[in-house]
Amino acid sequence: MFSQGGLSLEQAPPISVVFRFFVTASIFGILLGLFLVADSFGLSLTLNKSVIITHTLALGIMASFMLGSLFQMLPVIAGVVIKMPTKKAMVVHILFVVGVIIQLYAFAYTSTPLLYFLASAYLGVGLFYALFLMLKELIQIKDHSSSSKGMILSLSSFGLAILFGIYLLWSLGGYLDGSLFLQIKELHYSFALFGWLSLLIVSVSFQVVEMFYVTPKYPIWMSKYLTISIFSILIIKSIAIFMGFPSQFITALLTILFIIYGVITIHRLSLRKRPTSDATVWLWRLGIGLLICSMLITLVSTFINIPMEVEMLNYLFFIGFALSIVFAMTYKIVPFLTWFHLSNQGYIEAPMMHDIVHPKTVKKHFYIHVAMLVSLALFIILDYKILNILGAILVLASFGWLLYNLIYAIKKYNYTQKYTEKFEW
Amino acid sequence: MEKIFLDTREMEHPEPLQLSLSHLKTMTETQYLYMLNVRKPIPLLEIAKERNFLSFSHQDANQIWHILISKNRQISLEELLDV
Repeated sequence: MFSQGGLSLEQAPPISVVFRFFVTASIFGILLGLFLVADSFGLSLTLNKSVIITHTLALGIMASFMLGSLFQMLPVIAGVVIKMPTKKAMVVHILFVVGVIIQLYAFAYTSTPLLYFLASAYLGVGLFYALFLMLKELIQIKDHSSSSKGMILSLSSFGLAILFGIYLLWSLGGYLDGSLFLQIKELHYSFALFGWLSLLIVSVSFQVVEMFYVTPKYPIWMSKYLTISIFSILIIKSIAIFMGFPSQFITALLTILFIIYGVITIHRLSLRKRPTSDATVWLWRLGIGLLICSMLITLVSTFINIPMEVEMLNYLFFIGFALSIVFAMTYKIVPFLTWFHLSNQGYIEAPMMHDIVHPKTVKKHFYIHVAMLVSLALFIILDYKILNILGAILVLASFGWLLYNLIYAIKKYNYTQKYTEKFEW
Repeated sequence: MEKIFLDTREMEHPEPLQLSLSHLKTMTETQYLYMLNVRKPIPLLEIAKERNFLSFSHQDANQIWHILISKNRQISLEELLDV
């Protein structure tokens, strides 16, 4: 990995730090697939279906991927190091996973208030600890890049989303009167989706799009001012909501900024200096394309009422955007990290990146991913039950395939360490 | 000294690191790596330092990094710089 900030070998996190979060995300994805398959046959027994699906996606899958990626990308992109990452990642991981499971259980069986409190305790402590570890190092950087600044804003947004989430859980558990429930709920998902998730992808893209795909740099005005503008708008939106002012125009402004970012990113990707066939680029293009579609629908919906089907498509497009980028990043990080550690440890027969995750493997995942999105989009439009079942099975296949590839990489790593010779050089 | 020239300016990450490391692993005392890159390759320089290689890096007027690495610590890499 290349960084102006610096990455020494001791600073590169052990693969267990990153892989534990990626494997967890894949398992939550498989569980989501199973839930959707059961639901498509009318077998799910809960009324809180949408909130369970949303939080499995946002926390179980996306937050797991993001935490794992951050442990890996912080030294690379921002040049900061989290000392003793193995132990710290394990503490975060355990608290986080237990918290997510309790939270999903609480949503499914709403009659147990204590579960809401326990979920908020585990998730709150686990995630705030992770934020503390990362922000503590990030704010000490002397020479900030646009990515490191964006990461600070993204993590701060995540902190606010968690705080709002705790308020919502305590309200649901009956520990608070919940008089601000609707306002806080809007801020919770605004900071989680626009602030944490999208801002993190935007910040990281300023470096990785250029580095991974050899594209021209983003315009300076964009890399310098976009993330701070998005964060500021979110803060203004929060104030407007609490003051009871209309916030549609603020949301519209936010969507316009994301559309501009999306168009420029697609354009940058079209200017690759060595355009080779690479499914991770396809995933980036798909993801950013879906972001543009989602933001266009959100923009229109701030001024006119849109049909329920279009609103559902909007959710699907946004999920498709986030998952596409996360898959693209995972398929870059996993082979690199495996190869980097083995190569540095001096194993002569360290597998090359293509041996760990073959490009054809990523292409297969891309096709499954696209088929899943198309099936679910057609189900929303046509309402054929068979498309719902097919979409659910493809969710299962998508995360199952990812988990298989992760396990393959881990096995390859362990095999090389166990059975091949080291080379002193 | 035999020059091993590596222009990685249009290579996608992490090909530059892969190629440069494979050159370092097979490098003899009479060879040196001359690499051109758009960024300063910190990990490569860290690895070279840890493995006791001699290294020198220079950014030219066009913002291109010239990275010189040798196994032989008795030579002056600065004199081999070609800008």
